[in-house]
Amino acid sequence: MSGRVIVITSGKGGVGKTTTNANIGTALAKTGKKVVMIDTDLGLRNLDLLLGLENRIVYTIVDVVEERCKLKQALVKDKKNPNLCLLAAAQTRDKTAVTEEQLKDICEQLKKDFDFILVDCPAGIEQGFQNAVAGASEAIVVTTPEMSAVRDADRIIGLLEAKEEIKSYKLLLNRVRPNLIKTNDMMSVDDVVEILSAELIGIIPEDTGIITSTNKGEPIVNDEKSLAGKAYNNVARRIIGEDVPFLNLEEPQGVMAKVKKFFSGLMGKEKV
Amino acid sequence: MLLANLYNKVLGFFRQTDTEQTESSKDTACNRLRVVLMQDRTNLTPELMERMRREMVDLLSKYVEMDKDALELNLEQDGDQVALMLSIPVIRAKDEDEIKAALEAEDAKKSQEESSAEDEDGDVDNEETSDSSEDNSENEKASEEPNENDSKAADEEKEDSTTEEQPKEKDTNKEK
Repeated sequence: MSGRVIVITSGKGGVGKTTTNANIGTALAKTGKKVVMIDTDLGLRNLDLLLGLENRIVYTIVDVVEERCKLKQALVKDKKNPNLCLLAAAQTRDKTAVTEEQLKDICEQLKKDFDFILVDCPAGIEQGFQNAVAGASEAIVVTTPEMSAVRDADRIIGLLEAKEEIKSYKLLLNRVRPNLIKTNDMMSVDDVVEILSAELIGIIPEDTGIITSTNKGEPIVNDEKSLAGKAYNNVARRIIGEDVPFLNLEEPQGVMAKVKKFFSGLMGKEKV
Repeated sequence: MLLANLYNKVLGFFRQTDTEQTESSKDTACNRLRVVLMQDRTNLTPELMERMRREMVDLLSKYVEMDKDALELNLEQDGDQVALMLSIPVIRAKDEDEIKAALEAEDAKKSQEESSAEDEDGDVDNEETSDSSEDNSENEKASEEPNENDSKAADEEKEDSTTEEQPKEKDTNKEK
């Protein structure tokens, strides 16, 4: 087995890298793939929290590179899905505790046992980013339809293109708010795609369910009703190679919106 | 009648209000982003752009007489390509003798420099901006090309000396 190493990065902080990582990882594992997630955000680890695994971590990636344990010992199995593992970051150390070479080496070893290795990248473009990207051959650039996030994503894309090892990168547009786009108060998906001229792999709507799911340590892909969860599941299927159309986020959700749609439909018929 | 009126009112309520004609905040964001990204992608600071502009003025003045202060040099995005847009208000096309004289003067100056400066072979024309990135040199090379076309265009427009004529030369130059 030779797994695919995908780094999930963004440049800007707070756009949803870690949430994306937890959800894509969980969604991939649900399809039966063997998945390991590596948190490379040394000193600021959070992936364990989103997965609800914070109490199960014994060894971290720093313990592995400093040879206090074997790589396999440091992998924490998910509560629900045995196909899913986490290699946690150390909370007490900084970004210099692991080098690019060491990360590359870890990825190489994990490739033998897993279908997917998802690397959670820290914010910024410094050493932490360089480390996270070192072992990867694919990248997912997470951004939101906000100016600062798009600008940072453009910078990241420039850096990724300069790296020979990165064979492809795709854009994931997070926290999209269809209502704001409708009133022209937020850049649309097309706007962002055009400005960054990158291929899209997912459009995730803003969803308050993300907050509650984080509170519970339960990725939102496990919630069948959630729109964001559906969108993340679709991203996972696209990664595997399925041709899945993008969700129609414009679909009105509330009762009032449905009434409105009904009437505007009537109106349209009247006119014709 | 009353019923139809009421019906229309209800429809009006549910109908979406048309967005106003003024630029939306989203458009503002897109436009600002495009500008800032072009600067980010090329590493061309405003100072370098100004220097490039001045050099273009010097270069083109040999062939046409133009409004030097009105020459505009801007980066614009065209799809996934970044284009260097040059807008030159031509006042008057120079006649052959003038162009010849200007070129000869320059050639003379060059040969003088070459003979006097034996130690360094770096020609001033080729490395005018001391920059750090490849993009810059690429941009500059590309920007020198429109020259010929420009003088031709100017010749055709002889006597047409209004500044309104702004032959736009476009140079595409793939970034990234």
